[in-house]
Amino acid sequence: MTLTMKTMEQKLQKAGRKHSRLYLFCNFTALMIISAYSALMCSETVQTVFPSGGDSRKQMYFIFAMTLAGCIVFTIYAVGLFFRHKSAQLGILMALGASRKRLLPGLFREVLFLSGTSAAAGILAGFPFVWLIWSLFRLVLVDSSEMELVLDYRCLFLSLAFFLLVVGLACLTAWRYLKKTNIMEVIREEHINEPVKELGRWCGPLGLLLIFAGGVMGYCAPFIWEKLFSAYAPSWASLLYAPMFVGLYMMMLYTVVYGWGKHKKNPYKKIISRGMMKFQARQTVNNLLVVTLLMAGGCFAMFYLPASGTSAVLGYVNYSHDYFYQYPVDQAVPGEDAVKELAGEYGLSTKDWGGCDYIMLGIGGTAEMADEGGRYHVEYLPVLGEARFLSEDGFHALTGEYVDVAPGTYFGINNREESNIYLNEGAQDLTNMVTGKQIPTQFAGCLHYDLMSDSSGYYVLDRGDYELLEEGLTDSWRGRILQFNVEGKDSYPFAREFYLRFLHSFDESCEYHREYDRVAKMRAEEAGETYWMDTESGDGFRVSYEEWESMIFQSGWKYQPKFRIMLLNDYLCMMGVLYMMFLFIFIVCLTTSLVVCYTRCQTIAMNNRYIFDDLKKLGASPAFLAGEVKSQCGSVFGVPGVVGMSVMYVLFAMILYANDGRITDYEAAALLICLALVLLIGLGIGAVYRRTAVGIMRQLGIGLAEGIR
Amino acid sequence: MLYVKDLHKSYEVGKVRYEVLKGVDFHVAQGEFVAVMGPSGSGKTTLLNCISCYIPFDSGSITVGGSKLAGQSEDNLARIRNTKLGFVFQDFMLLDGLTIRENILIPRIIQGEVKPDGEELADKLTDLFGIGHILNKYPAEISGGEKQRAAVARSLINNPMILLADEPTGNLDSKSSRAVIETFIEARNKMSATVFMVTHDSFAASFCDRVILLKDGMIYRQLEKTGNQGEFQDQLLEVIREMSELEVSL
Repeated sequence: MTLTMKTMEQKLQKAGRKHSRLYLFCNFTALMIISAYSALMCSETVQTVFPSGGDSRKQMYFIFAMTLAGCIVFTIYAVGLFFRHKSAQLGILMALGASRKRLLPGLFREVLFLSGTSAAAGILAGFPFVWLIWSLFRLVLVDSSEMELVLDYRCLFLSLAFFLLVVGLACLTAWRYLKKTNIMEVIREEHINEPVKELGRWCGPLGLLLIFAGGVMGYCAPFIWEKLFSAYAPSWASLLYAPMFVGLYMMMLYTVVYGWGKHKKNPYKKIISRGMMKFQARQTVNNLLVVTLLMAGGCFAMFYLPASGTSAVLGYVNYSHDYFYQYPVDQAVPGEDAVKELAGEYGLSTKDWGGCDYIMLGIGGTAEMADEGGRYHVEYLPVLGEARFLSEDGFHALTGEYVDVAPGTYFGINNREESNIYLNEGAQDLTNMVTGKQIPTQFAGCLHYDLMSDSSGYYVLDRGDYELLEEGLTDSWRGRILQFNVEGKDSYPFAREFYLRFLHSFDESCEYHREYDRVAKMRAEEAGETYWMDTESGDGFRVSYEEWESMIFQSGWKYQPKFRIMLLNDYLCMMGVLYMMFLFIFIVCLTTSLVVCYTRCQTIAMNNRYIFDDLKKLGASPAFLAGEVKSQCGSVFGVPGVVGMSVMYVLFAMILYANDGRITDYEAAALLICLALVLLIGLGIGAVYRRTAVGIMRQLGIGLAEGIR
Repeated sequence: MLYVKDLHKSYEVGKVRYEVLKGVDFHVAQGEFVAVMGPSGSGKTTLLNCISCYIPFDSGSITVGGSKLAGQSEDNLARIRNTKLGFVFQDFMLLDGLTIRENILIPRIIQGEVKPDGEELADKLTDLFGIGHILNKYPAEISGGEKQRAAVARSLINNPMILLADEPTGNLDSKSSRAVIETFIEARNKMSATVFMVTHDSFAASFCDRVILLKDGMIYRQLEKTGNQGEFQDQLLEVIREMSELEVSL
């Protein structure tokens, strides 16, 4: 075969397959992760279910940004690693007289091929990956009509942008190497250390302090700002979280340079592994930081499931009645007789029937009126919104609890946990919205009944006040509540059939979200404005009888009944898309973290092979060498895992606490589940660490028998 | 052939500037075998790297075969490296993915297609240096001495004006070192090659026609071989001892 530059380059590429494979693997993984995440994030499935402007959507975008940042840092690292190994080859050719022009076509051909194919393959694999995971979710965990995956191919823009970034980075790095004038530097690049500027032993403790301070400052800033300036905190207030990132960097730096073990007694312990890490500290610290953020992001997503699921499911279990429903009296909803007859058809009998009427009134309260520039002032409005009121007799009929409400006062109904923070405790006026009759009132406290605790709120009035305000109300402002239990074991088919009959008995006047407030609408119209729920902002709150199985309907319809057996059976189904998306995010973050850790550990083997060989020559035992490998791999896998998960766990507990200024029993249960999950994830990471360490020991030819014990 | 005049080179590490070459002057004639010796940090390798156009120098001039290196474009410097200079490194710098024959032919490959005369010369050189039997082997399959002899053959494949060697025996045992030095002598004798070698090894240097001794970035002394190799080595060792004593007394 005639020897040309091209054939020589091909042979050299073949010889460098090992490094190319690692580069391909890194790019492929990063692109696959980003494509899969963006495909699911932009999918119609997710976009329809995640409330626009809601916290869950923000959370999803926030973690995507973190994953994207992680993948960018990772691909920069991968291309750097590839060129570190490629540089010796380039340097020798330069030293022998190959000019930049001579090397450029072959080098660009190679990097374009490697980065282009790996990135394109990653994008292509992203779609089957997301489809596979989603199908697996549907097959094993939850399936519903909402779970049908409908991709929006606009997500390709994100993938393509990342593709260009990867290819651009590869070309830029290639150009940077070719531009170097010091050929010896190019030749020796692979062996050049990357020490990082040491900050001293204080950087570890200070890092911890900054993480804590950043967390507290970022967390408290919005509250303090509101108190001080009567204005919503500006978006830059989130920057107060920034010290956390600086702190994380310092912690990782400390981990790499000094290590966290006690070295006073034995200062030479792990000195070799620390030395190896220290001299590649720049990339190691970057990698550890990225993994920490990804682990934290993954946990943030994962914690969502137990946090919302535990309180919901425990709440359903503790309901006093199997069936609870309410409706406006102008709707022909199945009553006690019709339900008993239907239950009979399913071989069931019912018991503990209870019920009462309620009225819907205008309730006064304080509203935050936005001024210009994000400031607001608090103003009391005599007719703020709509609320449901029972008489003290009605409350007794439902709960069996006698309560004496003083005239001119009202009670709010909360759950036993008192976790409903939406109750209006500042009303001074109650208004009959038909006659305009208004009476003064004041909040007297909370009564407890789990079934009647929701964000719309139920309140209890004195019998006299109730009768006074009821007078002249039309049927659309009156409602009825019914509840009952089933004798023995309940039947899901019965519950479902009852639900469908209940649903179909409503006319279109009731086809609205529970946030839809007729009183607020009247107020807006009186002011010559369009009620916000009738504008684009209310699009995320539209419900339709036709889509009664959707999450938005099941969780938001104004007259959604509470049938325990359906709630327990269908909860996962109803929340399917939301939960599965967060589960997916967790999988993506964890996978990316593990890939970064694995790659970092691989470079330990590649870069330090000669050190291990020298140690062997100096008489180091396999057990000693294995200890050095495990020490480094342990730091790479362990420290970001522990820090990322711990920080997120604490932050999550703080968020739960911030909801109502305490941790409820349900939240405590959720935190315990989260802790168990953290331990499980830790075990998983441990298993990957073990396999990686064993693989590296094999690559370095370290006797495994001693090594893996 | 090679003229070095008032050569200055310094490095900056952080804010500190280290002057490594402080005005070095010498020349090497056609067909001469010259070594540069000196203690660590004396500037030997830096001097060689400047002549090799691997690193830029601060001031002074280097002329190789009539071409001044200062002010040349990157492309011209590459051409000079490829056609006028041949290189031998301490750690051989053979490319793992290529056979020994292909490694030897790299400078020709860089020029374009390898023509039959290139292959013939490769065969001739390998026969001359006693490595004809390893032509189709890969670097990982041969000994250090064989690798270095292959590297010498590579350095000569383009008939360079001067062969530059950086510690060519540094990684070899005495037997292999001698074999490599003999390749230089063969190249000089049979191909009229000019050799400029940096070394720590007084035994290797004693085969040269002339030895330039560097100290603290300046030429301390130049010694020409007048007697046989053994006497020249003794002479070298004496001057090196003198340099060390001077170092201690300072």
